Amino acid sequence: MGLGAILVVGAEREIFSSAAPQTDLKALLAQPLACVDILGRSVLESMIERFVRANVEAVTVLVAAEHSCGVEPLRGTYEHVSVRVVDDLFSALSEQLSDYSRRSIEHSFVVSASVYTETDLLDLFYFHREARQVATRGLDRDGPLDLWVVDCAQAQQGDVEGLLAQAEKAGATYFIREYVNRLLQPQDLRRLVSDALSGRCAMRPCGREVKPGIWIDTGAEIDRGARIVAPAYIGRGSKIQEDTLITRFSNIERDCCVDCGTVIEDSSILANTHVGIWLEVRHALANGNMFLSLEHEVVIEISDPGVMRSTRPVQQGTKDGWSWNRKAREPQTVADPKPKPSPAPEWQLGADLIQG
Amino acid sequence: MYTTGPVVVMELPEKLQHAEGKAFLVELRPLLEVDRPRIVLDCSQMENIDSAGIEILLHCMEEAMKRDGDLKLAALSPASAAILELMRVDRLFEVFATAEEAAQSFHALGLEEPQGLPWYSAPHGLANLKAAS
Repeated sequence: MGLGAILVVGAEREIFSSAAPQTDLKALLAQPLACVDILGRSVLESMIERFVRANVEAVTVLVAAEHSCGVEPLRGTYEHVSVRVVDDLFSALSEQLSDYSRRSIEHSFVVSASVYTETDLLDLFYFHREARQVATRGLDRDGPLDLWVVDCAQAQQGDVEGLLAQAEKAGATYFIREYVNRLLQPQDLRRLVSDALSGRCAMRPCGREVKPGIWIDTGAEIDRGARIVAPAYIGRGSKIQEDTLITRFSNIERDCCVDCGTVIEDSSILANTHVGIWLEVRHALANGNMFLSLEHEVVIEISDPGVMRSTRPVQQGTKDGWSWNRKAREPQTVADPKPKPSPAPEWQLGADLIQG
Repeated sequence: MYTTGPVVVMELPEKLQHAEGKAFLVELRPLLEVDRPRIVLDCSQMENIDSAGIEILLHCMEEAMKRDGDLKLAALSPASAAILELMRVDRLFEVFATAEEAAQSFHALGLEEPQGLPWYSAPHGLANLKAAS
């Protein structure tokens, strides 16, 4: 009996209501949170790997056209995973279920890529099969999740959106007790980071745990005069300069630079961000020149490149970022945000600088 | 600009960057060059501030303190508050919700009238205040 999976990226229609990004998140990021690296890997990649590990026969990622740049790094990465950029996610979903049915794949997971869950996928599938419903929806203590198992053959006969909506009403629900993070708001990203760093969920940072709670990824350079207080994560190829302090569940993603004297506390510095000298980033998210203060609940575009800027080859300001995102469907304009790691040293570190 | 007793309340412009900051400083300078200047900068209109603007705020505060006065901020927007925090200057200023509160805070310290005393006589000022109350 075949089993497939369809991950949906960027759906904002009613049935995927929880996938609609919040306004401040839209201002901060040009792509869905699921495509953003968190502790070295995107949630989308983590979810794909979970399906691959569960021996799901075929995995398809359906991406709304405006978010195609977020999945470019996935192309060709996985053997049985296909990535499709589509204009109408629901008709594409219907087509994909029909295609699965033709390929004798009888059941398929349908999941919003924004949902990070550690539930036993096969147990969910067995539950669905025994319940003999057309669709079974996952839910946790906070309500329904954008996670279903559907019968491909029956799904293609009717309206997919209606079918997914009906699952909950028909009582075909599967209660998830394991860790769930809906990744809707910036606070969810911070929660996932702190949960992963403190071992409250199964997600583990990429790279190596050099001291308890301190994770350093390949090619990261940390100055002798920098101080890193556990738990913290320093991403691939990032540079941490002299007299900096990285503390309290902070994550510095790949190819970032934290300049001299700056303090990063309880914050996420997303990939390709340069943080200038002598700053204090507290309870915040920084992405290029966009800064989101969780304490003040405000997104700020930093115009002074000395304070904060993107280190991408194509500059990503707010306006540039959006236009870059729109143009990103043309392959030549997409700067590969995930260069292959060089066989360089694993990480460079001075002595006695990490405080575990 | 308006005054409430000896406290000067001044509205900051919508943008406080290099050019606007210079113009603002020209306007503010005479008020800083008095004995014990007590200044409240009303930030309610300010939407945009950069590092040059912050430098100007710091310069004004320094000038006020040199003359035994003070400079306080009022009605900071969340964005301005976040910027001050990011630039590590938030703790250098007293910040109030409104300009009135900021102005009253000077009176609460018993600094109604400039005494013309040297800075080290502050304890006497406080003692007078206690006696008066």
